[in-house]
Amino acid sequence: MKNNVKITRIKLSITQQRLAQRVGVTRQTIGLIEKGEYNPSLQLCVSIAKELNKTLDELFWEVEL
Amino acid sequence: MKSWISFLLPNDEYKEKRMLYFFAEGGIILFLSLIIMIICNGFFNLDIETALLVSIGIFLFYVSGRYIISGIEYTDIATEHTYKKEIKHIFSRTCSFVVIFMLLYLMVDGVPSNKDEWITIIGLLLSVSLLWFFTSYLSLKRSYNKNKQLL
Repeated sequence: MKNNVKITRIKLSITQQRLAQRVGVTRQTIGLIEKGEYNPSLQLCVSIAKELNKTLDELFWEVEL
Repeated sequence: MKSWISFLLPNDEYKEKRMLYFFAEGGIILFLSLIIMIICNGFFNLDIETALLVSIGIFLFYVSGRYIISGIEYTDIATEHTYKKEIKHIFSRTCSFVVIFMLLYLMVDGVPSNKDEWITIIGLLLSVSLLWFFTSYLSLKRSYNKNKQLL
């Protein structure tokens, strides 16, 4: 699933490790989500969106990359 | 989702999902192997101990093999520095195991009385520690390669 997590995270100068700690997953999981190789649960999507101050639409709705 | 198996699963949702797949795959392979053993039992006699050991071996070997190869054990190892540090950690952990095992063995069973006993205990200890080191190293290598691509 393509998403805007990586771009948003980099804009906010947050590392994968820090984001992972804040949402309670491993860095590997964040990396996989950013690459679109793992589809997170809705609960995790919401946690990530809250941490990055974005809506679910802004982060996970289908986008042209 | 609540289940009694939760205590065996990690907190991270990706790892949890992968582990559930490994257990489920292992369960199905175990089920199929039991059916094959029942069929084979009609042609040649399998003693119960062998059949049970083979079944346990198949499940353990499959689940742990998949876990090691999947590269999900060392989730934070993504740089050369942390990779080398972790290799040293694995090495020291293996050495600690050898020392503790040997001390416990000597305390419980006493000092081996002849050459054969020494060879048996040292051979067992070396096999177990080499296997442990090799599987940990393989898991680390797979995790490192996977994590590098995700940076």
